[in-house]
Amino acid sequence: MDQFKYISPKTKEETLKILKEKRVNACIVAGCTNVLPDIKIKKISPKILVDITAIQELRGIDKKKDKICIGPLTTIAELINSELILKESKILIQAAEEFADPLVRNNATIGGNLVTASPAADMAVPLLTLDAFIKIESAREKREVKLKEFFLGPGKTVLQDDEMIVGIEFEPSDINKKGYFIKLGQRKAMAIAIASVAVNLEVKQNKISQIRVAAGSVAPIPIRLTGVEKFLANKAISNKLVEKAVNRVREEVEPISDIRASEEYRRYISGTLFKRAFNKLTN
Amino acid sequence: MEEYKIELTVNDEKISAAAKPEESLLKFLRRNGFTEVKCGCEKGECGTCTVILNKKAAKSCIVLALQANRKEVWTIKGMEKLELGRKLQESFVNHGAIQCGFCTPGMILAAKEYLDKNSVPDREGIKKAISGNLCRCTGYKKIVDAIYAVAVENQK
Repeated sequence: MDQFKYISPKTKEETLKILKEKRVNACIVAGCTNVLPDIKIKKISPKILVDITAIQELRGIDKKKDKICIGPLTTIAELINSELILKESKILIQAAEEFADPLVRNNATIGGNLVTASPAADMAVPLLTLDAFIKIESAREKREVKLKEFFLGPGKTVLQDDEMIVGIEFEPSDINKKGYFIKLGQRKAMAIAIASVAVNLEVKQNKISQIRVAAGSVAPIPIRLTGVEKFLANKAISNKLVEKAVNRVREEVEPISDIRASEEYRRYISGTLFKRAFNKLTN
Repeated sequence: MEEYKIELTVNDEKISAAAKPEESLLKFLRRNGFTEVKCGCEKGECGTCTVILNKKAAKSCIVLALQANRKEVWTIKGMEKLELGRKLQESFVNHGAIQCGFCTPGMILAAKEYLDKNSVPDREGIKKAISGNLCRCTGYKKIVDAIYAVAVENQK
């Protein structure tokens, strides 16, 4: 019978070499909050567990030139405690505080949340409205992918077998400072979202100069609602406009019915969550 | 059999033992005699397996045993060695915050991490701190009361 193996590389280069050689047989692990339950239910068959938690360069939050850079090993608890994140992108802290529970947040990493590629991923939704991009490396090349092009389907991303996330970045900007995230779950802790909505907004003289809207648990992947964004761009804010946008949100999402909620409820509530977030930002 | 030897301290005592790559810290601890760490859901939902790992509360069923290599683990049994741990244990007893007792180790360890980092008594903060720990008996009020009382006493 095949057994799991374990390697704990100390550098990024060492990790990329292992991934190049072992390909699908290697499984990167960090916080393990998803991996261990997956091993238990045999969703993951025997592999080489490549524990990257010792790689310091993949951890931490920095401002470099004109970018905010988050290392993929940064835990959700570390995000909550970051003054830089509070200043530049408070919406990430809002989402982090809704993420699982305080004990899970001590270990779960932002990179892990993204590569798991859950349609409900709490960190993905606000990162979408921050226009984040993902830095990816393999032994062959380095590349950058916009987060909105990173997810392919539930559990699927553009990452190749030999690639790993080495950074999550976004620009410090006025619109990124002004965002609001709402998650609806069945309870306040350890809930997987029934639906979640993030809005980042810039208003000039009562006109929407820029808006970004994203939603979770309402499509096969966390999505940007570009139709709603286009509809709202450069329009003067009014109650009537918001009501129209709410209907557009309900039309644009593509939810399914599952154990947590029905398609109809998700469609309806995502519009409502959008309205709440939008009103929070404009009132 | 693929096994790797690790060294760690549990409740301030050094131990070294072998663990399998896919073994959880929970299973490893129980296999090595630390059966005070309770096994509940084994998927990170219930919190009864909580330990303190390098000063942070963690659900030991979703931590690899090998990731505890060279780290410091505290379980409920070690709490009697620490002042705050003892106070929490006594307060739980005095407030009747225990019924079946299965969630208690996790509750006390989650509370310990919270009180180590937050000195101002705050009921809402306490509720959030134990939001990853399920209790099916007490309705939580007595647990929150017990932790709050220690926070108040600590502030004096």
